[in-house]
Amino acid sequence: MAAKIALPARHRRWPSRLVPYLLLQALIAGLCVLALPLSLPEPPAQYRITDFRMIEDGTERLVALPHFTAPRYAPDDSPRFAAQFVRPHAEAGRAWSVFLPRFTNGVEVTVNGVIVHDSRRDPAANRPDRNTPQIADIPAPILRDGVNDLSIRLFVWGPIPGFLDRIWVGADEVLRPYYDLRTQLFVTLPVVFSAWQAILTVILGIMWVMRRHEPAYGVLAAAMAVGFIQAFTQTPMDETPLSRLNVFLISSAPLECALVLTFTLLLSGLKWQRWWLVFFAPAMLLALAGLIGSQATARALYPVLAVPTVGTSLLVMAFVSARSAVRRQNVASFLLGCAVTIMLTCWIVDLLSVFQIVPNRIFTSRLSYSAMLVAIGAGLTWRFARALNEVDSFAGQLVTRVRQAEERLKASFAREEERARAAALARERTRLMRDLHDGLGGQLVSIVALSERAEAGGPIGDAARAALRDLRVVIDSMDDIGGDLMLALGSWRERAVAQLRPHDIALDFRILTPQGLPVHPELRPWHVLQIVRILDEALTNAVKHSGARRITVSIETIDDAGPQGRITIQDDGKGFELVAGDGGFASHQGGRGLRNMQSRAARCGAELVLNSDAAGTQVRLTLPHRLPDSDGAGS
Amino acid sequence: MTVLSDERASQAISVLLVEDDAPTSWRLQDALTSAGFQVTAAATLAEARACLSRGGPKVLLTDLQLPDGHGVELIRETRRRFPDTEIMVISILGDEESVISAITVGATGYLLKDAFPTDIATTVHDLVAGHSPISASIARFIVRRTQATVEPPPGPQLNTAKLTPREIDILWGIAKGFSYAEIAGHLGMSRQTVPGHIKSIYRKLEVHTRGEAVFEALQQGLIKL
Repeated sequence: MAAKIALPARHRRWPSRLVPYLLLQALIAGLCVLALPLSLPEPPAQYRITDFRMIEDGTERLVALPHFTAPRYAPDDSPRFAAQFVRPHAEAGRAWSVFLPRFTNGVEVTVNGVIVHDSRRDPAANRPDRNTPQIADIPAPILRDGVNDLSIRLFVWGPIPGFLDRIWVGADEVLRPYYDLRTQLFVTLPVVFSAWQAILTVILGIMWVMRRHEPAYGVLAAAMAVGFIQAFTQTPMDETPLSRLNVFLISSAPLECALVLTFTLLLSGLKWQRWWLVFFAPAMLLALAGLIGSQATARALYPVLAVPTVGTSLLVMAFVSARSAVRRQNVASFLLGCAVTIMLTCWIVDLLSVFQIVPNRIFTSRLSYSAMLVAIGAGLTWRFARALNEVDSFAGQLVTRVRQAEERLKASFAREEERARAAALARERTRLMRDLHDGLGGQLVSIVALSERAEAGGPIGDAARAALRDLRVVIDSMDDIGGDLMLALGSWRERAVAQLRPHDIALDFRILTPQGLPVHPELRPWHVLQIVRILDEALTNAVKHSGARRITVSIETIDDAGPQGRITIQDDGKGFELVAGDGGFASHQGGRGLRNMQSRAARCGAELVLNSDAAGTQVRLTLPHRLPDSDGAGS
Repeated sequence: MTVLSDERASQAISVLLVEDDAPTSWRLQDALTSAGFQVTAAATLAEARACLSRGGPKVLLTDLQLPDGHGVELIRETRRRFPDTEIMVISILGDEESVISAITVGATGYLLKDAFPTDIATTVHDLVAGHSPISASIARFIVRRTQATVEPPPGPQLNTAKLTPREIDILWGIAKGFSYAEIAGHLGMSRQTVPGHIKSIYRKLEVHTRGEAVFEALQQGLIKL
């Protein structure tokens, strides 16, 4: 019944978690959308130049920057943007620069007919996916007071349309901080991230090597490695066999994407499926295009293959992470989900920029990739810390369990030994019993029977009976009684009753404490034999010498620093002193019997106290807390 | 006196004594005859069977080691043919080896060969009166078998699965030397019901036939087909 109630409750819980999760993702996406258009600080407007004459295909027209061009031009047919700027005389002493915050793909800056900068010489600046700024120092000699000519050639080689942002020409010391800021954001920061990727590659690689059963780590390490290599690959400007490989590496985004997607699926608890290879198909196609075809083919395919792959992968990752985070409350998946949301938002914004829907071209996908790195780093740290905690608690548990198991093993070993000993004893007893039964026992019985028929056979019969009784005592003492002396006393009582009946003496057997005697796990057959013999001796003395009519046997457990068993045999006879004075034979017999009892008691570590007066004799046997392991008398 | 002796004769309890050792047989016969029992003696299994063919005795006393076979066979046969016959085994040592094997085929007690004549007569009278004697060592053997052990201990096979907790408690009391009255007091029952329980214990330890033994074992899950 409880399970029936609990199950729907669990199903109700995860949709209730889904709504906050979706709201949080929407909030993250909203914040991204709000943050992205916030333009970076711009240099003073006085230096800004936006109106250019654009010479393209031999025609000339006026354009206002920022400006998008066609996706591809031949290198010798690149569009040229011409404008004029004024250097006031007041600033003649200051060094001037041309600041190009954003362009695609390459620029050549000419001032007063002199080429002052060509970005194609800086391979890092050639990557269309990076927002690399450029600053060109204008050598003082070529700069004139008043109007100067500025000409910018834009080299565009795809795969996306060319772009030229507004341009600032002015005092270098004013412009350079803005350039530095952009360099830090769009050049240095990606390098830092790449370093981070390299470190993660190593860490994840080691994790995967040490834990081969967790392929998620290996897949993520591969993704990181691809990202790292891609970041440091330069765009080739000419066609060489190596450059083909380069093209492939630059367009490795779909490969990286497929790997990260695989990682996300594995992280969310899914098992690797063969059809997941489909994820890698775009990357393979692109690689083939780069290797077999030309760079141009690869570039042409990039927008068709890579961009949708990235988008689709991000969507799938968002869904899978959300499911894992909401259903299984996986913290790593939750962080990944947040990062994916940021990346997805950035990817959409970038796409809008590529399709010239927004008048800006700052690509943020790459920067947002850092968000995912942060997420992965945090997720891994979290998992690592949790794993360490688990190891700690597991180690603690293990120590406890091992100790418990050890104790159980010891106990079971002791039990096993004890059992084997008991079994050996039982087998020996059985063998002895059969032997005695078939041999000695039968002969003694015959003696008893024959002596009863003979006239003067009385004493012989008694002796034979005594021998039989003793035989039974010995056999009985060998039985495994599990340390419970009461079981031995039960048999003794029966024999005692049988022994006293012909003498017309009553036996009063009193068990004063509910359990009788305490259990002695260390009890051995020889202890039983000694104790039973002491009781037999006391009984025999009472029968033979005291003239008693009633013998009382009291069994109790006394508590003297722990439970101790005590057996008291009391008769209502003449007492020991009278016996001693009765005659030599009797006193001699009694004396020897007493010595025997004392020595037997000593061997068991028991205390034997004998009191005797005219009202009767009392033999009190107090057992030790623990019976000795070996026979103290050495006999 | 004649009336009394006639009465005795008519009430004489028939005892079939099977014992191969002549002196032992004589003294048992003496003890029983002088106590008023009508004793038929047999020294071998064949003689005993011949006696049984003339009708079932009230009491069967038998030794286990017989020249032409084992007393257990005789007990089993008697138990099957004459369910009302009380059976006792004559044992030298009163050891569980002989007594338990006799109990499992239908005996309800044992008699020591060297017992005093009065004790012999009393024991047989008690048996006829429905008081099956059980010794502390036999009770001990049975209750030790009720305790779970990994492998069966040596000695005769004994199936204690049918015993109730109360019966096991009674056996523990006997094994520890408590009197019937003390046991009854401890267990909150009437002293008079204790002998009935002991009779019941004997009956439950009896394995009637081979087929039944197999059936029992199946029932208790001891063997699987």
